[in-house]
Amino acid sequence: MIPTLTLSLLGLLALSIPVGIVLFLLGFGISHFYSFFPLVRALGQVVWSSSNSSTLIAIPFFVLLGEILVRGGIAARTYNALDKWFSWLPGGLIHANIGTATMFSATSGSSVATAATVATVALPQAEKLGYDPKLFSGAIAAGGTLGIMIPPSINLIVYGFLTQTSIPRLFLAGLLPGLLMAAAFIAVTVVLCTIKPSLGGSSRSFSWSERFASLIQLAPIFFLFMVVIGSIYAGWATPTESAAIGVVIALLIAWANGGVSLDMFNQSLTGTVRITSMIMLVIMGAYFLNFTLTSAGLGRELTHIITGLHLGKFGTLGVIILLYIVLGFFIETLSLMVATIPIIVPIITGLGFDKVWFGILLIVMIEMALITPPVGLNLYVVQGARKSGSMTDVMLGTIPFVLVMLAMVALLVAAPNLALYLPGHL
Amino acid sequence: MIISVIAGLRRINRFIALLVGLALIACVALILIDISLRQLGISFGGSDEISGYVMAGIASWGVSYTLTELAHVRIDLIRVRLRPLGKAILDLIAIVALAGTAIVIAFEAWPVLQKTIAHHALANTSLATPLWIPQSIWFAGWVWFALSSSLLVLLTVVLMMKGDLRQADSLVGARTEMELEL
Amino acid sequence: AQAKDLSVVGSWSSLPLHKQFEVPFWTKDLPADSGGAINVKMTTFDQMGIKGSDVLRMLSDGVFDVGMTVSDYAVGDAPELQGLDVPLVATTAKQARAMVNAARPMVADIMKQRFNAKLLAIAPYPPQVVFCKGNINSLADLKGKKVRGSGRMTTDFLEALGATGVNISFSEVPGALQRGVIDCAVTGAGSGYSAGWYEVSDSLYPIPLGGWDPVITAMNMNTWKSLSPKTQNLITTKIKSQFENPAWNNAAGALKNNIACLTGNGNCSAGKPAHMKLVKVTQADLDKAHRILVQKVLPEWAKQTDKKWVARWNQTVGKTVGVQVPLN
Ligand code: NA
Ligand code: NA
Repeated sequence: MIPTLTLSLLGLLALSIPVGIVLFLLGFGISHFYSFFPLVRALGQVVWSSSNSSTLIAIPFFVLLGEILVRGGIAARTYNALDKWFSWLPGGLIHANIGTATMFSATSGSSVATAATVATVALPQAEKLGYDPKLFSGAIAAGGTLGIMIPPSINLIVYGFLTQTSIPRLFLAGLLPGLLMAAAFIAVTVVLCTIKPSLGGSSRSFSWSERFASLIQLAPIFFLFMVVIGSIYAGWATPTESAAIGVVIALLIAWANGGVSLDMFNQSLTGTVRITSMIMLVIMGAYFLNFTLTSAGLGRELTHIITGLHLGKFGTLGVIILLYIVLGFFIETLSLMVATIPIIVPIITGLGFDKVWFGILLIVMIEMALITPPVGLNLYVVQGARKSGSMTDVMLGTIPFVLVMLAMVALLVAAPNLALYLPGHL
Repeated sequence: MIISVIAGLRRINRFIALLVGLALIACVALILIDISLRQLGISFGGSDEISGYVMAGIASWGVSYTLTELAHVRIDLIRVRLRPLGKAILDLIAIVALAGTAIVIAFEAWPVLQKTIAHHALANTSLATPLWIPQSIWFAGWVWFALSSSLLVLLTVVLMMKGDLRQADSLVGARTEMELEL
Repeated sequence: AQAKDLSVVGSWSSLPLHKQFEVPFWTKDLPADSGGAINVKMTTFDQMGIKGSDVLRMLSDGVFDVGMTVSDYAVGDAPELQGLDVPLVATTAKQARAMVNAARPMVADIMKQRFNAKLLAIAPYPPQVVFCKGNINSLADLKGKKVRGSGRMTTDFLEALGATGVNISFSEVPGALQRGVIDCAVTGAGSGYSAGWYEVSDSLYPIPLGGWDPVITAMNMNTWKSLSPKTQNLITTKIKSQFENPAWNNAAGALKNNIACLTGNGNCSAGKPAHMKLVKVTQADLDKAHRILVQKVLPEWAKQTDKKWVARWNQTVGKTVGVQVPLN
């Protein structure tokens, strides 16, 4: 059953059938061939229950918030300011890419949206200034993945929703590893560009007065982050409510910048509906697939296989990490999460690992999946924004950052407190 | 004729998306009111429950707009390497699979609403919302998705028979996230 | 005869009722006692990713053979089912069991009429008690407080007390208590202990403000009718003696043990005892609760429910617990 399913999944995806539909089709297949019961009869109820969710409505809120910031011109200003602060480092503007991705991660819940935002403002600069396209675009794809690690995070909301884990605790847990990863991205870029200066562009220097003058451009994003995250920890709002507050603040900021018009508002709303429905079709498909997998007994089968290896606590964890890295090459990330978490997380907690900690470890592996071929959404987003060149450039450019992510996985296993310190102390 | 049908369908879905977006904004407003009242020690509650219904409505009504904007995520690694005819065949397979699934979902969504009506089901909350209200809106969204996608299948077949692959591509082809964004 | 394959969906996979009673009964005892006539495949609704309120709907559609869910989750489809779990009328496991036994024929009819299902068993979760931050001495002290509770009857009761019902998911409660989003929260004493709620709350008020959350086990009626009388008889007798009775017998001791773990009064077998203040439940408080039930909460329920069910409730459960719903 498992080999047949895997082959069908890959085959249907290769036919370029929409990912959400592929998941539904697999569910129909399981219902028809592997289940004694007509599981399709439960389809309507599963679709209603998975979408009738006040937790998941945070997704369109965060998407809308990002749309407003991009269309209101805030993204471009942030990029220009970070350029002034970071471009003296070996690698030049590449650091502004990572910096802008980090800043936007702090207000965006999605990695794809973060990468798209940075790509929009950064790629025109790269061509003008003659950067090597590989590392430059790789840094955008990889930097964008921070969007789901640094709070807020749609994927952590989905994880908390599925595993009954506190979302504010998950948000706090992602903060330090996310910032550490951003710093490691910058460090690895500096090292590479020092060894081989042709990878980066020329370093540029700005005067301190220019730098300080640019700080005001960073203030709106910083303020937005403080309000969204602050309102959760001040006890005013739940994560969903804080996202709603964020939408209003983003609108006010864009308005103060003169970036709000009826047309812009209209575009932001329809863009939000388009992206949200794309995500929701995948989530609902993954829900239905998980429902049929569990009903047909595959969940138990997988649990028995993994626990039956008798590898001990860390051996089993190693197998699970390997499993996610391999699946991450081929499967879209939200569907990967929804379909595997109900099976994997009980095993993890059964071994005595912390649920919050595993959520963060999982996010690192999901970040990796976003930039590993053949199925890596951030690669597509960045490639889509480029006017020329092949996808291979972007893939090669992400390799150093994938290595940083692997190191991060090892570090989190060795030092769980990296994730658990903040939730334990705040 | 075909072109004006396509344009009409796109316009309807864009209008629906705008309505759905406005419902989302109304939900933002409701949540802000709820938060403010809570700070004053007044309980309104219910914004939690209502935002769940809004989310279900966004999902069921928004998918058609995402469809006509070619924004449902597809893995086009193989597709991009094909000639126009090969692309068109894959696109036809994809839209047929999607329309088939949409019809099954709409078909299976009906018993949910039907049971709710038969049981006079009320939410187990203090609002005691009659569930047929949100579920009717939700169900109608899936019916519209089934209709929209079936219409696209029909139009694609007609265009392919006429040999108009370029027009077919603009109707049901694949777009990356960024092409849509810009 | 050919072996019958039953697909069984249990209640919350993480709670003791599932681990200690549902799993052994359905996956070991029943197949063994049937001598190979019954095979069972078991999962739980949370593992399937469906809501507790979907279980009986799916059961009636024949998506699986046997389903278990908290009765209160299904009241959207069957408002009369709220009569099985009226909060605060039963304060001990013994009273709760008497209440459930009185309601059983009525619940069996509800299962049959609403969900095309055969009622097999009703087992208890621990009573849903109150954890509060700060000092609480009586029911009256809940006035003006923000209380996390779910279910219409509990929310109506809180409103009648002058408290505010807040809907927050279980995993968010500790943070919400700590940050002052809520002042009190209702859950099973055991769940509250294992989730560490004692770290963020001070007073434990051991009244079943959220009721007992009885868990219904039911079988799809078509499956039931397809079984031989011998197998039917085997299931009904074994589920009583090897699932329902042990679960109820365990309930009283479990509550005592959980309270010991939370307050440090007595022996805690689950781990290190915490030191919450145990609030004494007075007769005056119980009388007050009954008054609110009869004057506010139950009449609301009667408005939403067919009169024939309410009358039947008065004659059965109402008589047992000494409460009557005015019928006019
Ligand atoms: Na983020
Ligand atoms: Na990948």
